[in-house]
Amino acid sequence: MQQRVITVVLLIGLCFGLMTLGAGMSSWRLPDNEQGYAPKQPIDYSHRLHAGELGIDCMFCHSAADKSRHAGIPSSDVCMKCHQVVTSSYEVLQEEMIAADKEKRKPQQIVSDELRKLYDTLALDATLQPREGATPEPIAWIRVHNLPDHVHFDHRAHVAAGITCQKCHGPVESMQRVEQFESLTMGWCVNCHRESTKTGINGRAVVAKTDCAVCHY
Amino acid sequence: MNKEPNKTYWKSLAERDGCIDASEIGPHQTWPAAFSRRQFLEAAGFTLSLATLSGCGRAPEVTALPFTVQPEGMIPGRSQIYASTCAGCPAACGLLVGVRDGRPLKMEGMPEHPLSRGGLCAIGQALPLALYDSHRLKQPLANRKAASWEDVDAAIARQLSDIKNSGGAVRFVTSTVTSPTLQATIDAFLAQYEDAKHVTFDAISCSAILESHEKTHGARVLPHYQLDQADVIVSFGADFLGTWISPVEFTAAWQTRRAPTEKHPEMSYHVQLEGRLSLTGANADRRYRLSPAEYGSVLSHLAVKLSKLAEQASPTGTLGASPIAEHDLDELAEQLWHAGGASVVLCDSQDVPVQVLVNFINHLLGSYGNTVDIERPSRQRQGDDAEVLELVEELKAGQVAALFVAGTDLTHNLPDREALAAGIGKAQLVVSFAEREDDFASLAHFVCPDHHPFESWMDAEPIAGLVSLSQPTIAPLGGTRSILESLASWTGNRDSAYAILHAHWRAHILPRVASQPFQTFWDKAVHDGFVETNVSTPGVGEFHSDAVALVDAGPIGDDFTLSLYSKIGLTDSRHAHNPWLQELPDPTTKVTWDNYVCVSPATAEKLSLADGDLVRVETSEGHNHVELPALVQAGQHDRVVAVALGYGVRGTDRFADIGPKWLEGRATVAPGELVGKNAASFIEARDGAFQYAVGGVRLTKIGGRRDLASTQQHHTLEVPRNVAPHGAEVRDIIQETRLSEFAEDSHAGTPHVHAHGDKQLWPEDHPKTGHAWGMVVDLNKCTGCSACLIACQAENNVPVVGKDEVRRAREMHWIRIDRYYSGDDDDLGVAHQPMMCHHCDHAPCETVCPVLATVHGDEGLNEQAYNRCVGTRYCANNCPYKVRRFNWFKYEREDALQSLVLNPDVTVRTRGVMEKCSMCVQRIEEGKIAARQRGEPVVDGDIQTACQQSCPAQAIVFGDMNDPASKVHGALADPRRYRVLEEFNFRPSVAYLRVVKNRGAAEGGERASQTS
Repeated sequence: MQQRVITVVLLIGLCFGLMTLGAGMSSWRLPDNEQGYAPKQPIDYSHRLHAGELGIDCMFCHSAADKSRHAGIPSSDVCMKCHQVVTSSYEVLQEEMIAADKEKRKPQQIVSDELRKLYDTLALDATLQPREGATPEPIAWIRVHNLPDHVHFDHRAHVAAGITCQKCHGPVESMQRVEQFESLTMGWCVNCHRESTKTGINGRAVVAKTDCAVCHY
Repeated sequence: MNKEPNKTYWKSLAERDGCIDASEIGPHQTWPAAFSRRQFLEAAGFTLSLATLSGCGRAPEVTALPFTVQPEGMIPGRSQIYASTCAGCPAACGLLVGVRDGRPLKMEGMPEHPLSRGGLCAIGQALPLALYDSHRLKQPLANRKAASWEDVDAAIARQLSDIKNSGGAVRFVTSTVTSPTLQATIDAFLAQYEDAKHVTFDAISCSAILESHEKTHGARVLPHYQLDQADVIVSFGADFLGTWISPVEFTAAWQTRRAPTEKHPEMSYHVQLEGRLSLTGANADRRYRLSPAEYGSVLSHLAVKLSKLAEQASPTGTLGASPIAEHDLDELAEQLWHAGGASVVLCDSQDVPVQVLVNFINHLLGSYGNTVDIERPSRQRQGDDAEVLELVEELKAGQVAALFVAGTDLTHNLPDREALAAGIGKAQLVVSFAEREDDFASLAHFVCPDHHPFESWMDAEPIAGLVSLSQPTIAPLGGTRSILESLASWTGNRDSAYAILHAHWRAHILPRVASQPFQTFWDKAVHDGFVETNVSTPGVGEFHSDAVALVDAGPIGDDFTLSLYSKIGLTDSRHAHNPWLQELPDPTTKVTWDNYVCVSPATAEKLSLADGDLVRVETSEGHNHVELPALVQAGQHDRVVAVALGYGVRGTDRFADIGPKWLEGRATVAPGELVGKNAASFIEARDGAFQYAVGGVRLTKIGGRRDLASTQQHHTLEVPRNVAPHGAEVRDIIQETRLSEFAEDSHAGTPHVHAHGDKQLWPEDHPKTGHAWGMVVDLNKCTGCSACLIACQAENNVPVVGKDEVRRAREMHWIRIDRYYSGDDDDLGVAHQPMMCHHCDHAPCETVCPVLATVHGDEGLNEQAYNRCVGTRYCANNCPYKVRRFNWFKYEREDALQSLVLNPDVTVRTRGVMEKCSMCVQRIEEGKIAARQRGEPVVDGDIQTACQQSCPAQAIVFGDMNDPASKVHGALADPRRYRVLEEFNFRPSVAYLRVVKNRGAAEGGERASQTS
């Protein structure tokens, strides 16, 4: 009797296990390989729109990529360089303009839901005036590319060598929500280092070392 | 299938008869045979595989927080460097504060600073750890309870107005104040009261030097000693390379004269006469054992001899017998006279007549104006012991209405604590500015905690005419308040510390420089960290010989003289809460986490004492006594015992929990005890000065032991004599020669052994065509001060392990200073050798690693991949230099706040992993990337290791050995260059420069052999 209970419990466990795994079966990976990771972000920011359609340079927002280890996530005030003027999508704004024109009134300030979240981080209201009693809070982005603590990756070295952002991050300019495009495992890194040393980058000879201490210290 | 058993077994009648309740059988018997071993394994295996599969899921979510508004110039991940001033002691060295993502992390010396010249001592390096100390007060205290600043200010203002009306005495006690702004603020605060006085109290005072100049030069000044001008240095007990006045500055100056070259085989002649073995004595060319009680006699003899040479009348007074041989005295006088103005006599005595004699000798030699500057005097020690003694009397008599104490723990550092505490209890208002509840603060009515130096604006004027700024590099972590703001608010001024400083500089510092707009002047001062200004001469007169008289102490009796000294790293009590400094092995005794009684080997033999035996030190009247473990110290005077001050500090029982907890682990601090014991009760007030050498002390063995956590014999390079191969019993780890021999043959001192030919055990597979990183350490410059050790600890996230683990030889420091003795106690030779990973080309550690966790890089570095290491420890066994450290435990930081001190560029190692010096590979990578970005090759000197940067003696040279223009390339070509254990052909990347001792006319003795 009890044997049967155990068997049933284990079988239910197996089913649950397979069900949870089954959901992600298409992106099955080894431990620590986060390829394809595309978490939902607090703001529905689109790289496809900004980097793709509008053609804004990566370094406009990730301005530390050639100055620091970290490329940097733009601070809210960088977004505000445009978004104090651009408060919603073009279509919505144009509709309002036409409607206002018809009704012979001044067009209303329309702030999209996502941009409202941005203004909230700076404690601003829809008219971009400081909100009473609110304090600025940074946007808690979910980190997509996260290397283990014993790896030290430096953006500077790679930018200086002429590696494009897409080489590691994939076609970000076509991603609605950013995902980890490459595996970013050690084998993947080392392969590229070996290849680059053999073939050079953009016709320029480079020495991309594969010593342990290049990344691990 | 379950079959009904044909037989039933039972244990008791009750069981058989069914009288036992099922609950009495116990839960483990309720599922008897149903869960078999096989089933358990099946279930376990199943669970394990499910767990593994689920590991293939996503890593936990990590958030990344950007700024809302990014401050200008701030780049995440990049260090910003701020010029500042070290506030670890009144020496006020130049400091470069490295701030990483808003956290002050790494302190470096400021190369442009005229005093410290780029060096920084262990204390300066350890300042960040004190900043991230959760035991600092976070708000003011009123009657030992947390209070708000408004309440405290109101209560103090009420009391002060009472005192003002009644005309009560207000006393403000500080340690030496070098800050002109703080001095002015204190003066302004005290000016409100009729009977107010600012008393300066130094826990280790130099007041006798100041008093003696009052007598001989008519001004109470502390000279600014310029040791880089000195050909001959004669020091009576002054530990100027270790703890005396301004050790970094003195080391930086001293080392300039300690580098004999082939072309100029010259160096200064440094004689030390002292009772205990100080760091300075350890580095002297000639060292005499002399009890502090005998300084006067030797100085009198010198004064007479020099007067004769100068053809002047000798000072009056009687001349006793000389404790050191006549021909040695003649030689000393001859050397001094020959050098004339390029010589200096230093003395740490607190006897004013002795210091007057020192002044007389320096005057005779013409040192004033050359090596001894009193025109631009030092302000690094201002303590006035006579005034402190007067204050103590006032307190005891209940004549003080308000007592303010800042920058020092008055009751901890003064003798006769109980009477003093009772006196303090009589005061109407007692206020402390301590950053934590120290001994005095526990007696105070109000504690108004001052900021950590990194949290506030301040300035300093260590030498008249050199004014430096210190600027905040982090917002205050707690609700503390700058002392400037506290004082200003009690003076009726609500200005911020910045405004106060700004105003003072505009009004008082600007007029001292050539006319320029204030903003230009201020901006430059903030950028550079210091300004040099004109000074008005403090009214120094001609030399008056009236006060000069010979001193005859008479023969010393059978009693011991107790020498109270301050230790490197701890000085007085103010750094006792810093675990890095507590775990710093003393450069001489190598003991951590304790103070102890140093006794000479002869005394130890007489009293049959061994290291760790408990002894009782007591004054002859028996008023004061302390029981501490003994430590047998070579080179110590037979009638001197030495005990370090700055221990037994209130609150250090917090370290009971430091280090790993495991079955056999013992607490660093036993329950109810503190780290070490306070010996301040022995300080004697005599002739208006605090005496740190106390005569008439008895020493008795009391039985019992307390093991000292000494690193002396850990990681030794020596091979036990009984197993050594013939001819290799003594390894030439330290090589030493004498100046006269060096002048004849620059290769003198090379041992004649071990030609290994060209036989190679390893293939030549390290081409090193690019960079080849290497290091050369000049042992003649290295004083053993251990600044490098803490610099490395801060840079490389080296953990603190606690006393018990140190006792088990498990300290984690990546660089250690090996100390070797030679000669006999009367003429002891000491050599210090920094020992870190040698990054051997033929590294024995690499060949034995089964998982290739330690491999050779093609730039000559021996690399350790922590994530690959499985902890076999074969490498550590095979390392000839014993520099590998194993993480026996996961060494936790004290709390989350303390983790802020971690350098994000270096991995924090976990349990079971081997680690060792990486030659600061993170700095090498940083330097290479920066150069690549500029599109230039790496410039020599751009990449500095942490140990090299902080070295006050500039003894460490690091660079690319393949670059013929590099400093390290030049140093490798030095004839003094040798490698340790070269005969084994490991081809290390670290080399040393041989020690050269200038033995003066006493040269010619046989070469000393080394013993450890």
